Amino acid sequence: MGRYIVRRLLQFIPTVLGTLFLLHYLTTVGIQLTGNPIRALFGDKRPAPETLAALTSRLHLDDPCLKQKGNPCLGLFRERLVDIGQLDFGTNFRFRPVFDWRGFFDRAHASIITDALPYTIKITIIAFTIEALVGVFIGMRAGMKPGKSLDYSVKISTVMVISVPVFVLGILIQQFITRDFGNFLRGQEWIPEVISRGVFGSAYKQEFPFASLIIPGIVLGMLSLATTARLTRTSVHENMRADYVRTAKAKGLTHKRVIGVHTLRNSLIPVATNLGLSIGGYMTGAIITETIFNVPGVGNQTARAIFQGEPAVLIGITTMLVLVYLVANLLVDLLYAVLDPRIRYE
Amino acid sequence: MRGKSPMKVAVAATAIALFAAGCQTDSTPEAPAAGGTIRVGSSEAAGLLPGFDDSPSIVVLRTIYAGLVENDNNDGKVVNQIAQSITSDDNKTWTVKLKNNYKFHNGEAVNADSFINGWNYVAYGPNAQPNAPFFGSIVGWSDLQSEDPDGEEGPQKAPEPKAKTMSGLKKIDDFSFTVTLAEPFVGWPATVGYSGFFPWAKACLADTKGCNETPIGNGPYKIEGSWRHNVGVTVVRNPDWAGASKGKPDKIEFKIYDKIDTGYADFEAGELDIWDGVPPAKYKEAKGKYGERMFENPSNTFTYVGLPLYNDNFKEVKVRQALSLAIDRQAIIDAVFDGRFSAAQGVISPNFEGYRPGACANCKYDAAKAKALLAEAGGWKGGKIVLWANAGAGHDKWLQAVGDGWKRDLGIDYELKVDLQFPQYLATGDAKKFTGPFRLGWGPDYAFLETYITPLYSTTGSSNSSGYSNPELDKLIKDAAAAKSIADGIKFYQQAEDLVVRDIPVIPMWFGRTANVRSENVKDYVYNKIHGTVYTEITLKDPNAVK
Repeated sequence: MGRYIVRRLLQFIPTVLGTLFLLHYLTTVGIQLTGNPIRALFGDKRPAPETLAALTSRLHLDDPCLKQKGNPCLGLFRERLVDIGQLDFGTNFRFRPVFDWRGFFDRAHASIITDALPYTIKITIIAFTIEALVGVFIGMRAGMKPGKSLDYSVKISTVMVISVPVFVLGILIQQFITRDFGNFLRGQEWIPEVISRGVFGSAYKQEFPFASLIIPGIVLGMLSLATTARLTRTSVHENMRADYVRTAKAKGLTHKRVIGVHTLRNSLIPVATNLGLSIGGYMTGAIITETIFNVPGVGNQTARAIFQGEPAVLIGITTMLVLVYLVANLLVDLLYAVLDPRIRYE
Repeated sequence: MRGKSPMKVAVAATAIALFAAGCQTDSTPEAPAAGGTIRVGSSEAAGLLPGFDDSPSIVVLRTIYAGLVENDNNDGKVVNQIAQSITSDDNKTWTVKLKNNYKFHNGEAVNADSFINGWNYVAYGPNAQPNAPFFGSIVGWSDLQSEDPDGEEGPQKAPEPKAKTMSGLKKIDDFSFTVTLAEPFVGWPATVGYSGFFPWAKACLADTKGCNETPIGNGPYKIEGSWRHNVGVTVVRNPDWAGASKGKPDKIEFKIYDKIDTGYADFEAGELDIWDGVPPAKYKEAKGKYGERMFENPSNTFTYVGLPLYNDNFKEVKVRQALSLAIDRQAIIDAVFDGRFSAAQGVISPNFEGYRPGACANCKYDAAKAKALLAEAGGWKGGKIVLWANAGAGHDKWLQAVGDGWKRDLGIDYELKVDLQFPQYLATGDAKKFTGPFRLGWGPDYAFLETYITPLYSTTGSSNSSGYSNPELDKLIKDAAAAKSIADGIKFYQQAEDLVVRDIPVIPMWFGRTANVRSENVKDYVYNKIHGTVYTEITLKDPNAVK
């Protein structure tokens, strides 16, 4: 087991290096093709050449290779790796550090990622809880009684959710639920503010740090919830007909035990994979959800960095996302062994 | 849709509770004139030091800082704030005398050093403050910039600049100093109202990083806590403020939204008192919905179509006049933008002192005259005209309307070139490589009409992208800068404007239009023509509406 984990951790290194290089190359080519992004900060006004040069050089964008189309700028990549190795992810165009681990504990060392991460973790927990609990529960109920009305309604509603893109869903919910219905609630004096302004607010609010994340969390978790429900349903449905379940029933075990221990546990292996992967998906889905609901999390920062073409921010955040994805994947793999004793890692 | 069930439960619960509630209480007490909290929609600032030049930064800076001069809220005229007087005999060496009773929020006095040291910090190249170029007119500025010995392409790094302080700034005593400009400029006192010229506390210069998070200003409001990135900035009234107007609200909350649609949705949900800038797509709807609660005014952003005078096809002035006359600005504004702009009647903002309606005769749509002028000039010889704009910013639609007009009225075929990304587009312009008319914009740097003339049209103008050069205009600018008074100076700049609208180096298109909405709770809405909404002067009907 220990050796397996070490081996998996070692595999992280090439994956992270590969991602870093890809990102470095993409952002570099972006600059080579579209020109110095610092010039765009000044917009239609032409800055003094001295000021432009000073800003460009302080942001390390003055390397001559950034003017040679297609040049992978390996020297710059090496510099970047050395910096990242010392946990220095650089700054955005306005000199805010991208990542500083001390920012978690000390406001004086605040950085983009440490500021944004808590919001994204919160929204991820909400989405994940809803996905895991609701998705597995309804999937299980539907799988146990295939062909019944509940099964059909689960099937139909999940297809509906899967086929509506998240941004459409998010904007619809914002328009009709948090704005129109929310305004109606806010007109009622007796409704506590945590409901009317918090839960049904159109955007994230500091005064309601948890309540105002519930609806964004639901929107974020909706897609994976539908997938989880369908997967659980199919898996349970199949296992219900398996020999060992029939045996368990035949030897007179209680219904609860047959379902809970024999069917569900075995059915959860594919579901666990899906749940684990969906955590990574949340981080990227958050780009849309967080932007719509103005949650100042990682997704929001990513969207901003993409629009402004901020190489350092993009590289910093994506490196973190890759690590989250890899760790989640590793945990899922380890969870297999818990769920299925036949699986052993050596 | 079982996935929604938690929400359904909540909805059901509130619905039941609705029926349970019998009556509503109406609780609007007689409101005092001031106080309360104003909630303002904003976006993430680049920084909260006076060195930053983006509008979300300036909006906050204007509440927590105060400059030498201020623009009157009624007529936009320049009035002294911290300055006791700003005088000069030759428009070149300006003597600034300060009032001695202003203090920073940390108790430090606002004195000559606060200005001199602060301005030197912003101007010093390696500090990379975006506002550095604003000090370029002061003697010694270029000594604070580093020059790359082998150009941008070369491998050598730029050395340290020669000096750390501008030789044009000299302290006389604690509360007076002189500023020497490289060239005389009558409008200089009007320029120092810009936020880049705000003073810096010693403590702020000692720790600029900390000061960026927790600004130490000298204005009517001071920051509460620190800047919460991407969430908000809250400022409260500064009881020690020595200025005349003490500020109306007790507290101003700037709430940060990343997207204007989200912020507007939150305004519609009653979370904001002021929302500046209704999203274009919602403009018509908002106009009907908010009526009186929507404030509209021409803004100072100027959009123009530049003409590449370095290209032979655009050298003939009659051709340029014909191109300008053949554009029906109002029709384009109505058709493409729902009427959200004010058609340009000149090149100076309608909000500025010295603006003259109808200054530009070549900006009125007149197809017959356009045709005649083009014929006089011997017709169009350039083949297909290429219209340039940067990609992805929605400019193609109106440029197409411009091109359609030329095709209809002048018979000139056109094509759009709108595939360059912004940095590349700007670089093309900087290198004077546009092959046809190009879209650009301009916003004022300070509250003096000169900002619409010199940078754009003087031969050495910093943003003269058309390559226009007219000795007559250069002389007028020189005369204006050396004029005896601001009023005299304005006359010269107006003559310069006359030359520009006659020669049409750029085709003036329109000025923006602000559309700001406010909540029902706002009693007095105050708008400054130069700076926009004055948050510090807004009063609420019920100051206790937000706790």
